Order: sequence, then C-alpha cells, then structure tokens
Amino acid sequence: MRLVVAFALVAALSVVVTAWASAQSARAALVASAQQQLVRGVAEQIGATAPTLTYPPAQDSLDRLRAAVGANTVVVYRSLRSSAGDGPGLITAELRGAVAARERLVTQRIVAGDRPWLLIGTPVMITAPDGARSASGIQVYAARDLTAVDRQVDRLVRSTLGTAALALALAVLLALVAAGSVLRPVAKLRDTARRLADGDLGARTPPRGADELAELTVTVNEMAASVQTSMATMHRMQTEARRFAADVSHELRTPLSTLTAVVEVLGDAADAMDADARESVTLAIMETNRLVALVEDLMEVSRFDAGTAGLRREVIDLPSVVHGTLRARGWLHRVTVSAPDRLEARLDPRRLDVIVANLVGNALRHGAPPVRVSVSATAAEVLIEVTDGGPGLRPEALRHVFDRFWKADAARTRTPGSGLGLALARENARLHGGDLTAGNTGTAGARFVAALPTGSEQG
Amino acid sequence: MRRAGWMVAVLLLAGCGIEPTGVTDGGDAPTGVAPGMTLYFVDGTGALVAQQPDTDRLGTISDAVSLLLASSGTPQRRTEIADVGVTRVGVIVAGDVIELRVPLAGRDVTARGIDQIVCTAIAAHVQSGGSLRSTVRIIFTVAEPAADRARTCPVIG
Repeated sequence: MRLVVAFALVAALSVVVTAWASAQSARAALVASAQQQLVRGVAEQIGATAPTLTYPPAQDSLDRLRAAVGANTVVVYRSLRSSAGDGPGLITAELRGAVAARERLVTQRIVAGDRPWLLIGTPVMITAPDGARSASGIQVYAARDLTAVDRQVDRLVRSTLGTAALALALAVLLALVAAGSVLRPVAKLRDTARRLADGDLGARTPPRGADELAELTVTVNEMAASVQTSMATMHRMQTEARRFAADVSHELRTPLSTLTAVVEVLGDAADAMDADARESVTLAIMETNRLVALVEDLMEVSRFDAGTAGLRREVIDLPSVVHGTLRARGWLHRVTVSAPDRLEARLDPRRLDVIVANLVGNALRHGAPPVRVSVSATAAEVLIEVTDGGPGLRPEALRHVFDRFWKADAARTRTPGSGLGLALARENARLHGGDLTAGNTGTAGARFVAALPTGSEQG
Repeated sequence: MRRAGWMVAVLLLAGCGIEPTGVTDGGDAPTGVAPGMTLYFVDGTGALVAQQPDTDRLGTISDAVSLLLASSGTPQRRTEIADVGVTRVGVIVAGDVIELRVPLAGRDVTARGIDQIVCTAIAAHVQSGGSLRSTVRIIFTVAEPAADRARTCPVIG
C-alpha cells in the first residue's frame, strides 16, 4: 500500500511541476512577445513620422506625432505638450527619469485600476550624417493596455491546469496498475509461504516473467522442494526404524517362549542343585522374565507407533480397578490409596492397569516411601495421581522422563524396569484422549498425574 | 510531503497573471528629426562638402536627392550634375541597399556628381535611422556598363 501511495505521489508531483514549468515559460514567452510587438509598433511609428516633422517642432508637429503613435500617448518638447487618453496620468517619475538619463527606449509594467499596463518611454534622437546621435528634446510616452495578454495568459494557465488534472488522473491510474503488477506476485508468494508454514509442503507459486521477483519465486520453490524431500526421507527412515523394532521384537518372541519353558523346567529342578548352581538358575529365570517383559513392552510400543493399538472402553469402577492392579502385583501393603468408594468411568481396563502399574512401579523402584495413589474426578475427566517421598525429579529428568530407555541415573544401567514403562503409560493415557504429566510435590517428592476424559459421550 | 504540496501551490499561484516590473531597457530610441536635410556639393578643390539648406525637416531620401538635382549650387559650392529639368527620383530601400532611379543619363553626371548623389542619399538614410554601412545603386535612364554597381560615399562611414 505504501508503494502504491509513493508511486502515485511521485507521478502527481512530476505532472504538477511539469505543468507549472511549461505554463511559466509559455507565459513568459507570451508576455515578452506581446510587449516586443507593442514596443516595435511605437518605435516604428515614431521613426516613420519623425523625418516629416519640422524641427524645432511647433505644437502641430507634436500633435501629428502623438496621433501617429496612437491613443494614450503624450509627446513633450520643452514647454510644449501634446497628450490624449489615460496615458499621461499613468507615466511614472521613474520612467521619466530613465528616459532623460539613458537616452534610450525604456519600458515598465505597472498595474493601475486592476488593469496591467505597459508603459513605453523614449526620446526622439537627432542623427548626424556621420551617425552621431544627440537628443532632440522631444520625448514620447505611451501606455498600452495588457488586459488582452493577461486574459490570454489566464486561458493558458487554465488549459494547463486542465491538462495537468487529466494527466494526474492518468498518472495515478498508471501508478496503481504498476504497483499492482509488483504487489500481486508478492501477495501470491506470501500465500505460498503461509501454506508451507502450515505444513502443506506441496505448495508452489508458478514463477512468471524474468525479474527479481520471479527469481525469488524460483528460490522459494526450490527451498520448499528441498524441505519436502528431507521431510520425506526423515519420515521414511523413522518408519523403517519402527518396523525394524517391531520385527525384532516379534522375531524374539518365539525363541523366548521356548527359553521361558526351558528355564521353568530348570527352576523346578533347582531345589536339587547345590547353592552355586541354584543361584545361577534363579538369576537366569529372573533375567529371562525381564527379557520377556521387555519384548512385550517393545511390541506394545510398536503397536502404538504403527497406530494399531486399539481402545476398548467399558464402564468400570475406577477405585476397584486400581485396587485390583495393586493387589495383583502384591503392592497393597506398600502403597496408600485414597479414593472415593465408587467412581465410574468408561475406560479401557487393560490400559488403565498398564498406566497405574507403571506409575506405581516406577515410584516404588526409583522413589522412596510413602507412595500414595489418589483417585479423583472433575466434570470432564478422572485424575490418577501418584506421589512418592523421594528426592523428586531433577529439571533434566523432568524433560526426559517420558523418553524411551531414558535412565535418570546413567551409572545405574541395570534396573528391573524395561525403560519403556513411563513412555507406554503416557501413550496409553493419550490413547484415551488424556495426558500424563510429571512434576514434583511441594515437599520435593516426584508426582505423576494421569488425566483421562471419562469418555461418557464416546463409544 | 505536505510542505512540498504547499510549495507547489504557492508557486502555481505566483505564476498567474502579469506582475509589475521596474524600468527595463527597450532598445535604441527612434530617430529622424532634424532641422534640415544634408546635401553634398563640390568645392573649389574638387572635394565633397556638406550643406544644410534650411528645410525645417529631414524629409525622405527622395526629397533630399530631388532637392540636390534641383540645386544649381553657389559659386563656392558647385554641382557636377547636369540640370535636365526633371527632379523626380524613385527610391527603393531594401535593408542596407538603397536603389535610386534618377532622371539622368550616365553622361549627365561626372564621377564626382555620382558621389554627390550617393552621399546625399546615404546621409538622409542615416539621419532617419538607417545604417552607416548602407550602399547605393543608381539606375540611369540610359544604362552604362557597370553603372548599377553598389556604391559607397567617400565621406560617410
């Protein structure tokens, strides 16, 4: 918009200045030529009449000269004087002085009674045969009305103004068109950039013409294409990595089930072994179980990544599900639960179990007693809050606590957990349309809150 | 931008109409008045001398040359133009060239007589505002070889 205004102003200014300058020069030329014509007329009349005048002149000679020069004229010679019209009254003392002093024809423009006048004053000279000039004492003063010239100038200025106004309109129109031709491609490019920013990586602007704007458009298109290519590559690599994890976990399951069976058989025979062998068998059983849990978690994560994890909502009583989870894992005596007697919600009980088990397990493993679980509800969602009495989460841990295989203590690499528990818990919460957040309680313990929509309106 | 607009408006207004001026020069003053015309005669030594008969006014070139042809001169100021009884002279002035059609044959005047006519014509021309560099062509009633060449006055210019 600023560009348009600037274009229009420059165009208008140039038109006005040009019009003014041309009007000025035309006016000057007009006035000068009119004046020159009047002066020449007077000089020629005097020159033609002078040789026929007696010298020294008598009154009748002066009268004849005055008549020859025309109206509004006064002719003087010493004490003699012949005058007619308004001329004599208009002659200025300045002009008289100049005629006497310069002995040349002089002019002056004055305005008298709202009318412009040209005053012409001249002495009549005597020329000797050798060309020497001397004043004869005869002086002629004439006044010429310039009103007609004035009107002509007025007409000229008016017509110039009219032309300028016309040109002005045209110039502004041209400026608008020119600015539009520059601004339209810019607007198109802006729209394309906005679509790119909104994620439509296929957005392009067809470049038109061969100016800088077209070059910019081509560059933007190239940039978009390269971003699109990188994004596609990244997406492909991510997909491949996920499929690889899924394939690996799937392939591990079959040998693992065999291994589990073998280890169980070994475990049954362990009582008959000596102490060293029994310890090895116990360790093998424990690690195998851990491996099974890890593979199962991996497969679950793969399902979330592939988007094939299903949600089976049913009406459940939330406190009893939480109790069930704790009871099944033998944690009832280590955890304090505060919950209403009944709280019904439409949730997937299996996934709710995963969430609660992972949160409580995490608190028991990494935090310190007392571990509390509190269940509450708002109008739209249920809240499951798990806190512990440990040192809480460091800021670094807060950022990464939901990352896969992330360990709060890098030195402690071997913990009973798979490293996927909290990540899985959050995926499950999100599958419900809710979320899982981590923080610290006021007394410095870690605090995890799962907020799940009750899902009463949904199937 | 607003200041520029005002400036343009003021300039436009100033450009309208005819404004008064001081006294300015308008060129050479006209000339042509004289107490009498200047005629050229020949003195005792054969030189040209100017004489101003009391004619009250300058008159035209034609007037001056006619008066010269009509004058018989005085004992001290003689003329070398034969008196043919006719004094009518045709004059055409084109720029700086004065063409004289005189009622004389080439044999009616001497070289000095031609100078008399040329000087008288140029003097009248200069006194009425003409150029000092003017030349004269004389056309006689009976043409002589090279008679109508451009002539100048030996005592003027």
